[in-house]
Amino acid sequence: MRLLLLEDDRILGEGLRAYLSSEGHVVDWCQRLAEIIALRNEPYDVMLIDWQLPDGSGLDWVRSIRAHGVTTPVLILTARDLLSDRVRGLDTGADDYIVKPFDPEELAARIRAVRRRVAGAATSVLSFGPVEIDMAARIAWVGGTDAELTSREWALVEALALRAGRYVAKPDLEALMLGMDGEVSSNALEVHVSNIRRKLGRDFIETARGMGYRVVT
Amino acid sequence: MKGLPTIRARLSMALIAVSLAWGAAVSIVVWVTVRHEVDELMDTTLQESAEILYGLLQAGDRRWLTETGGALAATPHDEHLVWQVVGADGQVLARSYRAPAEALNRATTRGWADAGDAWRVFSLPFVSDGRMLYVAQASAERREARLEVAEYTAGGALLVGLLCALWLRSRVAVELDPITEMSVSVDRFEPGGAAADLPLPQRGELVPMHRAIVDLARRLSQRIANERAFAAHAAHALRTPLAGMVMQLAVAQRLAAGPVRLHLDQTREAADRLQRVVTALLTMFRSGSEPRLRTAHLRDLLGHVRFGQMQVSVEADATLRIDPDLMAAALMNLLDNASRLGATRTVVSFHAPTQSIRVTDDGPSMTEAKRDDLQSAINDQDYEDRTGLGLMLADLVARAHGGHLYLRPMARGCVVEIHLGDTQDRLTASEPGGEVHSTRLSTDHDGA
Repeated sequence: MRLLLLEDDRILGEGLRAYLSSEGHVVDWCQRLAEIIALRNEPYDVMLIDWQLPDGSGLDWVRSIRAHGVTTPVLILTARDLLSDRVRGLDTGADDYIVKPFDPEELAARIRAVRRRVAGAATSVLSFGPVEIDMAARIAWVGGTDAELTSREWALVEALALRAGRYVAKPDLEALMLGMDGEVSSNALEVHVSNIRRKLGRDFIETARGMGYRVVT
Repeated sequence: MKGLPTIRARLSMALIAVSLAWGAAVSIVVWVTVRHEVDELMDTTLQESAEILYGLLQAGDRRWLTETGGALAATPHDEHLVWQVVGADGQVLARSYRAPAEALNRATTRGWADAGDAWRVFSLPFVSDGRMLYVAQASAERREARLEVAEYTAGGALLVGLLCALWLRSRVAVELDPITEMSVSVDRFEPGGAAADLPLPQRGELVPMHRAIVDLARRLSQRIANERAFAAHAAHALRTPLAGMVMQLAVAQRLAAGPVRLHLDQTREAADRLQRVVTALLTMFRSGSEPRLRTAHLRDLLGHVRFGQMQVSVEADATLRIDPDLMAAALMNLLDNASRLGATRTVVSFHAPTQSIRVTDDGPSMTEAKRDDLQSAINDQDYEDRTGLGLMLADLVARAHGGHLYLRPMARGCVVEIHLGDTQDRLTASEPGGEVHSTRLSTDHDGA
């Protein structure tokens, strides 16, 4: 998944980025509200927003993007543990609320859960014909056999599976690749898609010229 | 506060005592006064009777005085006054129906005399022949008259005193009502509320108390606000670095291998424990003693917990009316205790008959003496140097829910019960038929 992390604390921010990256996510980490203004319309899967920031309130930012119609799932990370704070956070437009300190495993599970809810999936296992994808275990099976995807292939499969039935633009997928590799060759995306088709079946990913790729439901 | 004397009772006792003393004093004074007046009245009556009788005897036919020599004939009757005419030789010449045959007195001059304890006598000499007229009244009758006067006086005074005491007692009750009303108002008054929330007292004497309470509430409110602000800052200052530490450790665990990994696992375990303690302390500190009761599942309180190698399971889940944050903090610390003391399996369950949450572990059991000492420390809230943080927090949470913490004897391991008091009025078992349902929350932690 491509995640936006807004956390001003350097140690926590670096730790979160490293941990979530090791989980296979692409994390864009910002420490100030001013840094994420330009990222408002980026196609993130989940946004992790700290409430109290040096240059403003993360909650106010969530309110403003909701007012602009952005529906990307938002998970509030905060030290504010009062019931009234939690209610306020969720009522403002956040999809989940987690109080610091938290277990990294719990955070990862909550990220998967909010994304799954948005995708309309009831469980972490998604089925596409003979292909089954376990979002929690990060495993894809074809006819019960592990397809053994690489981390980049997995990132693409996950991004497409969570938007199953809808086309995902090529630049958005390239941005995901860019986040993982730092630089992306001109045909890297096509190479990865080709490998996925080889492992999961030719019909698993459908291409439409000018629109992008999609997983057929 | 049972056993303390009440103002009403003390004032009532004082009023009754004062009334009795006042009645007795009035009775004595009135009795002395009345006795003097009654004596004087009876003496005057006796003397005037003697004067009248003397006049009649002087003016009338006096032959019968020397002829009869005895009592005058009369139908049987009582006499309040008796009289005698006694000759110069001391012989009774004439006497009234009830007068004694012997002379009442030997006096030969006008005046008063007491004939022993029997008679009060007034003597009057006849000028012409040396005879004496004695008019007397029985001393017993005089005492009876005095006693009756004293009795009626004392009775009246005491009756008035008691009636006054009863009336004053009812007045005391009425006058103390404003204190009761003020107590009710103070009981409803929240320190953070406006001064107008505490109604002005109805008596001037209570105005200083009202002012002091409002002032105290204001100071308390300010202190609570300061502590909340401090706690909010402290929470942020503690939670964020702790979260960063846990996160960095989690990353390091993934990257490390060999002995370094083992050390990191142990450090992570310590960090998790620190995280639980800090969370519990902040929860307790910010919640104060007022739990925010909500409906919660016992199982939900323990989601995502991990305690090293210890397996934790929930049996007999229930829907509880509790403060989830406080209860979760208490349970986490009890589980942490069990984990540190070497338990490999801990079961958390709800026990409906005693309305209690039980934490049962298979760690080393404690001696009876040790358990008694801990229970005593918990009962007395004497935690310092006698209990650990886990038991203290659990006891404070139990008390906040109107209950208590109990340590139960067990052949192996330990059982801690958090009794929930009367907060469970709306408790419902979530498992039909009270079936025991077990859900494993975390498996043996392999460091993943």
